[in-house]
Amino acid sequence: MPIGATLASKSASSGVGESRPAAAGRARALADPSRPLLDVRGVTIQYKTQRHLVTATYRVGFSVLQADRFVLLGPSGCGKSTLLKAVGGYLQPTEGDIRLKGELITKPGPDRIMVFQEFDQLLPWKTVLENVIFPLKTTRTLNAKAAEERAMHYIKKVNLTKFAHSYPHTLSGGMKQRVAIARGMAMEPDILLMDEPFAALDALTRTRMQDELLALWDETQFTVLFVTHSIPEAIKIGSRILLLSPHPGQVKAEINSVPHGQENSNEAAALNREIHEMLFTDQIEETPNA
Amino acid sequence: MLEAAQRANIYCETLGPEQFGIIQKPLTLAEKIYNQAWLRKISIIVVLALAWELYGRWLDNPLLVPTFADTIRALIAGVAEGTIPQRALSSMEVLLIGFATGTLLAGMLTVFAIGTRIGTDFLETMTAMFNPLPAIALLPLALIWFGLGAGSLIFVLVHSVMWAVALNTLAGFRSVSSTVRMVGRNYNLNGLRFVAKILIPAAFPSILAGLKIGWAFAWRTLIAAELVFGVSSGQGGLGWYIFESKNQLNIPEVFAGLLTIILIGLAVENIVFRFVETRTVQRWGMQS
Repeated sequence: MPIGATLASKSASSGVGESRPAAAGRARALADPSRPLLDVRGVTIQYKTQRHLVTATYRVGFSVLQADRFVLLGPSGCGKSTLLKAVGGYLQPTEGDIRLKGELITKPGPDRIMVFQEFDQLLPWKTVLENVIFPLKTTRTLNAKAAEERAMHYIKKVNLTKFAHSYPHTLSGGMKQRVAIARGMAMEPDILLMDEPFAALDALTRTRMQDELLALWDETQFTVLFVTHSIPEAIKIGSRILLLSPHPGQVKAEINSVPHGQENSNEAAALNREIHEMLFTDQIEETPNA
Repeated sequence: MLEAAQRANIYCETLGPEQFGIIQKPLTLAEKIYNQAWLRKISIIVVLALAWELYGRWLDNPLLVPTFADTIRALIAGVAEGTIPQRALSSMEVLLIGFATGTLLAGMLTVFAIGTRIGTDFLETMTAMFNPLPAIALLPLALIWFGLGAGSLIFVLVHSVMWAVALNTLAGFRSVSSTVRMVGRNYNLNGLRFVAKILIPAAFPSILAGLKIGWAFAWRTLIAAELVFGVSSGQGGLGWYIFESKNQLNIPEVFAGLLTIILIGLAVENIVFRFVETRTVQRWGMQS
């Protein structure tokens, strides 16, 4: 565990320990590229339904580095969405901890912006522009003028300048997801959390959105944690892929994807087969998606 | 027999757009007129008025059903004299105070209720108890508590508005999707800011429906209450006007009073609420 070792030596050498101001901690985390941006350790998540106590993930651990395109991949019921919600701060792990830049995640916050699969994540009473400005203003990240400038910048990046003043219900599904991505990126969060954002789109739009997301990444090198159940999507989007087994979700493997732009190569096909074998060697019983 | 493998590939030429007679054609004038909702509604009213007039003439008994023309004449006379506008104004004043107070209390109650589970239980129990209770049934008690006058009227109005609005607002808040809630929490919104910036706009269609129901309840309750004790109140409203006219067997005026209530109801529904709807829920695509 080299990462654990560096962390331990860090807190020992800093002397002040945990009491140091958060801002200083953040600056330190940025200054040290070897330290993971997001550290998930031994995370077990359980939640209660009306009748059962369900264990969604069991002792899952992984580390996301700055500018990673980290993909959580697994069949339905492997707890990947639950895991993402825990990183988002919406759920508390029963065991283990999740740290962003060394700080324990206890609640949702604008340093981790979620992009959901559902099209209704945009606020229908706000135009595209107002939707992108909304988090910038409510979190007091920027003043009104600067917020609008930054919002327009990111709306342009997702090619929706013409629709800046349209209401969400007039947009197609793909356009709505692009607005959601622009809204997330405009906040310039430490990490963007994407929960199967393209799963509800048709195949053609989906491919185009994947290309656009990669183009955006080329420009700004943001860090993203991406959940999907599609192996080709994971290979295409991800720089590193975490494979989870179902019921409960456990880490099966953590592997490097093929280099960006080679998703049609032979290596990608081989990787696809390898992942497929790993995920589907166990007999999977069909269960309703939690 | 044709084997499946024997079938050749088929390629077709498609026609260009200039080869079609009609791709897009404007609607005819009649179709455009028929598409106007207000015109359709007005024509319904015209037909109803016509039927009324015919029935009135056929019956020929102004003490039972005066004709539409007589009613309109009485209405115009009442408006010209200033009695009807004055009575309507006095009703509206009490109504607005009661409606605003009821809505405000409902809002406070609901905001308090959604915060905690016990609050929700409290609101649910209260609405279950009081929503079916006709506000007018509380009037005798109100008269004892608040005496004759606006106080009692406002009390029963608040009662009639509050539960309907609270029930709809609570239902609206509860139907806000978990995605939208999570989006709000993602931006550190909580407490009252979460209610104001996420829940209220997201639940606005339900809230508006609640306000409409509350408005109608308030109107009914007020007119009924005025009929009961308008006698002793200094300035009577429309209900009292109807009661008075009936006592004088001035039936066209009774009808004129009823018509005024209907007209005000139509105006509020089609002008005020319509305006709010087109500016909000329709523009946002939350209602078609």
